[in-house]
Amino acid sequence: MADFHGQLSLRAEARDGRTVLAAQAFRAPFHVSKPYWDADTGTLLVQVVNPTAGILSGDKLESDIAVGGGGALLATTPSASRVFKMRDGSAECAQRFSVEKGGWLEVMPEPLVPHRGCRYRQTTRIEVELGGGLFFADMLMPGRVAHDEAWEWDSLCLEVDVRQAGELVLRERFHPSGEELKAMAALMGSGPGACFGNAVLITEETDASWRDAVHALQGDGLWVGLSRLRQGGWSLKFVATDGVRLRKGLKETRRLLSARFPHLACDARKL
Amino acid sequence: MNSVPATNTDAGWIVSLLQAGDSFYPTGSYAHSFGLEGLVQAGAVHDRETLREFIILSALPALRHVELPLAAHTYRALAGPDWTRVGELCVLSSAVKTASEARQASHNIGRQRAELAASLHGHPLAVAYLERATAGGWPFSAAISAALEGRVLGAPLAAVMAGVYYAAIGGQLAAAIKILRIGQNGCQALLTETLGHAPEIIAAAEQVMFDEIGWFNPWLDIAAARHETADGRLFIS
Repeated sequence: MADFHGQLSLRAEARDGRTVLAAQAFRAPFHVSKPYWDADTGTLLVQVVNPTAGILSGDKLESDIAVGGGGALLATTPSASRVFKMRDGSAECAQRFSVEKGGWLEVMPEPLVPHRGCRYRQTTRIEVELGGGLFFADMLMPGRVAHDEAWEWDSLCLEVDVRQAGELVLRERFHPSGEELKAMAALMGSGPGACFGNAVLITEETDASWRDAVHALQGDGLWVGLSRLRQGGWSLKFVATDGVRLRKGLKETRRLLSARFPHLACDARKL
Repeated sequence: MNSVPATNTDAGWIVSLLQAGDSFYPTGSYAHSFGLEGLVQAGAVHDRETLREFIILSALPALRHVELPLAAHTYRALAGPDWTRVGELCVLSSAVKTASEARQASHNIGRQRAELAASLHGHPLAVAYLERATAGGWPFSAAISAALEGRVLGAPLAAVMAGVYYAAIGGQLAAAIKILRIGQNGCQALLTETLGHAPEIIAAAEQVMFDEIGWFNPWLDIAAARHETADGRLFIS
């Protein structure tokens, strides 16, 4: 099977009162849907599609999505990213997101599903200029739960670096073994199908009146916590006993936040 | 553990490191549970066995992947000293803690330790560090300051790492006595077991590259985040 060295580059800019893709380039396995302008929220919605079955050994995926001043973009994916079993080798994904002053970017892909025996590393670099805003949310499933397969990857490493005005404000490195995470989920009472959501909100807004409402979502198998970053925004974390509860928690969080950040009212499933 | 003869056992740095690691040393760490109280409030940690699992599954990996590597890299950077690298490590030490309370706890303890290193020993390295940290707006960190203490006292890296390890585990177990139904003997038994892992964890931590520093427990971060707004609490973090 051929190894893919996929590349994607998108740049969104404001033009004539709306946001357009000013530049785009991609090669397999990346493909980009026709953008949709959501006039209600003033947000351009783009789906990044991987038409192959999923991520295979040897795949190297690189993406770079940028938003210029005044632009507002929601980048999502239409389906989960499956990382398949690898007899040998590994797969890597390096993604970079940048927002210029006055721009807004939301990155809200469907979940990552690491299959038994996969080896996968994903690095995410986010750079936001002062005056720019961003909401980034990643979801991780334990595996193919319906097939009784969970926590069985060989290696998994998810890294997120966030910089605001060049200053490192968040560095996360999530690289537990399946066994470690399974034991932790049992200890914390999240069960054998625990799913994770990790979100970052970059904003200079000081009003955090929405915080209690988001915290109130906790319960019925969902853990939610949000805390201020060292500067420039918030870290939001979710753990749920299953994917349905996780999606519901994130969806409700977006709804609550949209009162303050109107672009979050854009429906990621509109296409 | 082994019976290889120890080197550099100068009593000067040993007694000074004991002083810096004593609960009598005014770092303020007694006021923190380092996230444990949040997990107790969440019902996840509620007895000796769940406390043990938390230490093994969460506290030790955090030491191995974050605090000990931070101390090791800083210790090496201070040899020059390479102030640019020290500044990067200070920022990194803050950025890897997403929960505000955990970050602030480390900042406060680290600042106190650095200031004590300068005021008690008058060492030029500690004074220079404080000047540069102030000028550069560097966040403080318990691990960074432990490395600074080690350099000031002339302690070897292994001793500094052991001090960081003991302070982290000892601090959480001291807090556990106050919020769980666990006695002093029970805590000492757990401490003894945990200290048995120290050689392997310290050895592994010494090998962690700068770009590999980082680890988190999502449940702990959530519990710590919720602890910030809890109706009642015994500890600051």
